[in-house]
Amino acid sequence: MKFFDWASRRARSDRELEEEMRFHLNAETRLREDRGEPPEVARRNARRDFGNYVAVEEATRDMWGWNWLERAVQDVRLALRMLRKNPTFTALALAALALGIGGTTAMFSIVDSVLLKPLPFPHPSRLAMIWELPPHSSHHNVVQTQNFLDWRARNRSFEDVAAMFQFPFNLDESGEPVQLPGLRVTAGFFQILGTRPLLGRTIELQDDVPDTPWVAVLSYELWQRSFGGRRNIIGEKIAGPGNPFEVIGVMPPGFGVPAVPRVDVYIPMRIRPAEAVQDGRNYKVIARLRPGVSLAAAQQDMESISAQTADERPDIDALWSATVVPLMEQTVGDTRTILLVLLGAVFFVLLIACANVSNLLLMRASARRHEISVRIALGAGRWRLLHQLLTESLLLAGAGGSLGFLLAWVGVPALLHILPANFPLPRIAEIRVDGGVLVFSMLLSCACALIFGAFPALQLDRARVGEGLRQGGRPGSATNRRVHGTLVVTEVAMAMLLVVGAGLMLRSFMLLDAVNPGFRPERLLTFRMVLVPSDWKTFDELLAQRATLVAQMLKRIRTLPQVTSASSISFLPLSGSQSGSGYYRADRPAPRPGMLSGGDVSVVSDGYFRTMGIPILAGREFTEYDRAAPEVAILNETAARKNFPGENPVGKRMRVDWTGPAEVEIVGVAADTHHGSMDTAPDPCLFLPQSQRPAGWASLVVRIADDRGVIEAVKQQMHAVAPHQGIEEVQTMDSVLNDSLARPHLDAVIFAVFGGIALILACVGIYAVVSYSVAQRTREMGIRLALGATPTSILRHVLREGLVLCGGGIIIGLAAAAALTRYLASLLYAISPMDPLVCMGVTLLLGACGLAGCYFPARHATRVDPAAVLHEQ
Amino acid sequence: MQGTLDMMILRTLQWGPQHGHGIGVAIRASSEDVLQVEHGSLYPALHRLHKEGWIESEWRLSEHNQRARFYRLTAKGRRRLVAEESRWNRMVEAIRRVMRPAED
Repeated sequence: MKFFDWASRRARSDRELEEEMRFHLNAETRLREDRGEPPEVARRNARRDFGNYVAVEEATRDMWGWNWLERAVQDVRLALRMLRKNPTFTALALAALALGIGGTTAMFSIVDSVLLKPLPFPHPSRLAMIWELPPHSSHHNVVQTQNFLDWRARNRSFEDVAAMFQFPFNLDESGEPVQLPGLRVTAGFFQILGTRPLLGRTIELQDDVPDTPWVAVLSYELWQRSFGGRRNIIGEKIAGPGNPFEVIGVMPPGFGVPAVPRVDVYIPMRIRPAEAVQDGRNYKVIARLRPGVSLAAAQQDMESISAQTADERPDIDALWSATVVPLMEQTVGDTRTILLVLLGAVFFVLLIACANVSNLLLMRASARRHEISVRIALGAGRWRLLHQLLTESLLLAGAGGSLGFLLAWVGVPALLHILPANFPLPRIAEIRVDGGVLVFSMLLSCACALIFGAFPALQLDRARVGEGLRQGGRPGSATNRRVHGTLVVTEVAMAMLLVVGAGLMLRSFMLLDAVNPGFRPERLLTFRMVLVPSDWKTFDELLAQRATLVAQMLKRIRTLPQVTSASSISFLPLSGSQSGSGYYRADRPAPRPGMLSGGDVSVVSDGYFRTMGIPILAGREFTEYDRAAPEVAILNETAARKNFPGENPVGKRMRVDWTGPAEVEIVGVAADTHHGSMDTAPDPCLFLPQSQRPAGWASLVVRIADDRGVIEAVKQQMHAVAPHQGIEEVQTMDSVLNDSLARPHLDAVIFAVFGGIALILACVGIYAVVSYSVAQRTREMGIRLALGATPTSILRHVLREGLVLCGGGIIIGLAAAAALTRYLASLLYAISPMDPLVCMGVTLLLGACGLAGCYFPARHATRVDPAAVLHEQ
Repeated sequence: MQGTLDMMILRTLQWGPQHGHGIGVAIRASSEDVLQVEHGSLYPALHRLHKEGWIESEWRLSEHNQRARFYRLTAKGRRRLVAEESRWNRMVEAIRRVMRPAED
């Protein structure tokens, strides 16, 4: 209100002054006319006597006195006028700032949501995950069932401990059966996290008992998607795998364990204590620390319990230990490195943008040097001028910052939208460009204004009045050029650093992308699922069903005209899952407990290697005749080399701990494939036939000749054999492969974008400074030409000046890269952080860009017309 | 000389309220056109004096029936004028002594 009062008072005063002065001129004119002057002359003389009308108006206004607000408004007006007067300058500066601030804001919003904000649970710092540690290893291993039970019973550090097991939940509600991401949990899981259900209740002790009716808790998303968000869903039975499941609760939107992929259905674990000791290692374990118990104390507690279990069950636990990992750390994991590196990178982009704007401002400031000197001579206070310069910087930064924030506000959700649903970035659903981020970007803008406003302000101090006036508006001193030069060298150095980083990431990704997975992924369809046997009494019956289900499906699918061949594997390569077991030569004594032997185990159907295009190096692959004895197995190359160095394993026998020790005959050796990830060496793997050792997990792999209607046809054949069998996901093997590289791909792309922006900004910087320098020295060039310098020598002269700056920047940038790229080391595949190829390539690239940035202004310099220049002076 | 114009304005207003143009004409007339003040420079001075509270203003109709801003001396302004005049007289006296020491 005060402001409006003041504004209306101001407006009235302005009007009255205007009227007062007009009255004066009229009265004077009348007086002169009365004396006999002709009207025209009278009016002219009245004006002459009055003096400079506008100056009087200004001077009178000054007498009214200014408060800080009026001064600020005046400064803003002046700044706006200056910005409008130089649209090219303004557009360049705004674009640079918007990109810099926008990029930094976007990265900050991701870092803030993923790394900084606490997990969305009560007292999140007390949540932890507990893993087993294999002998002499720091690899986090899933937990054996009996060990979990002992941990839960014996620990003194945790309020509660719960086990989780991911599995696809077969839902046959309406239409086509589907397999949803499910999680089996022991009672206490929901209580540990502390999230209340949206509807109904969660899984409690009485639900986690074997041989009682099954219950399920649904995710909000599934409830909305498949059950229309009906509130009366509670108490209803849904058609789960083999049994009806009573829905007892619905969780709120977005609920999930951050370290576990998306889950739609939670059901009780129902461990049978009597059988627990025979189980393998399957479970992920989550726990809540008691208040006041430190992580170190809990770790010690777990280590002493592990020592006990190792004593009690040396056959499975000898030398195994346990480790407690805070849930936040588990969630964020190695994402922290790349996110911080990217934030650092985009921050450098921002600094380059600031240097650019600073340079542009400086050039303008020196162009205005004469004006400023005059104003100082006329008594304008230095503070006042400083204020005006800072106002202009703040205005630029404010506008650039707003644009940047908008960029982030629109860009981040858009980017998240185009990422695949299962994109491996933790807490991706929690990423928000919110009020906190807005505050960050505004503070960042102010900081930018101070950074790029500082140089022109410091120059102001040098603007000695006399000098400025003497130069008569001809700006461009040696000091000035030195400051410009320093800024450009800094810019080029930072761009060099970023482009080296981007180059490393890109080359690393290209190498990774070029890695041969060991199979031919093209024209290969995958159907991911877990088998749903219908009716079975004994475990042997279940196994028999698993074998026949898959065999019958494959038999039918292979008859399809579009299909070349088909087979199955327990866990698809590069899908993130694998099972393992101990195995060793049957002709040697069994390894001592705690000595790790064996490795991965995959259960595959006949024709797997042919379907996948994996070469068989020795022996044969599984056939449909591998049914009864003898039990057979195939080794991959690594397992063969490890267990039979220098020997041919074909025909030899091994013992496999898979489910109780059994002897198998090795019938073949297959070439290595990447199963876990593309960036690690293949693990040793033993293949068992689905017909002899049927696994419950069986994904179909189908090589196709023709993709028309093939997915529907395969599903039809599957459902003819098993009508309730749902499928978790149908994917081409190419896209499985691409998904496994999605993160390094996106990281490299984002880094490349930052590097590209940095490169462009640096080029603009070089171009602007060299053009400016040429423009400043038009007279010098003219004289040189007049004295007989050839255009070529002028060109060389200007180019040399630009390239010296550029070269300095490149050398400093390389030194900085040498110091900083080691933070990239853990993100790089197969190259060192100072990869010579990347460093050389980037040096050439920057050199070329620098040359281009200098060449155009340099050529301009050669076209100076000496006569015109000399005449001007 | 700083303050001279102020004093002349205050002195002019001693004879009664006047608008800016009138003040300018009066100064010109009384100095017999010796003091050629740019008329415009009256206004910053008038507004400064107004801000100091030595004069006040109101809008009235002029002799030619036009709206004009009339300035009037305040009590504070009157005191100020007395002080200015005595300061002025002392200064003129001092200058006179320096210029014509023999007459003393």
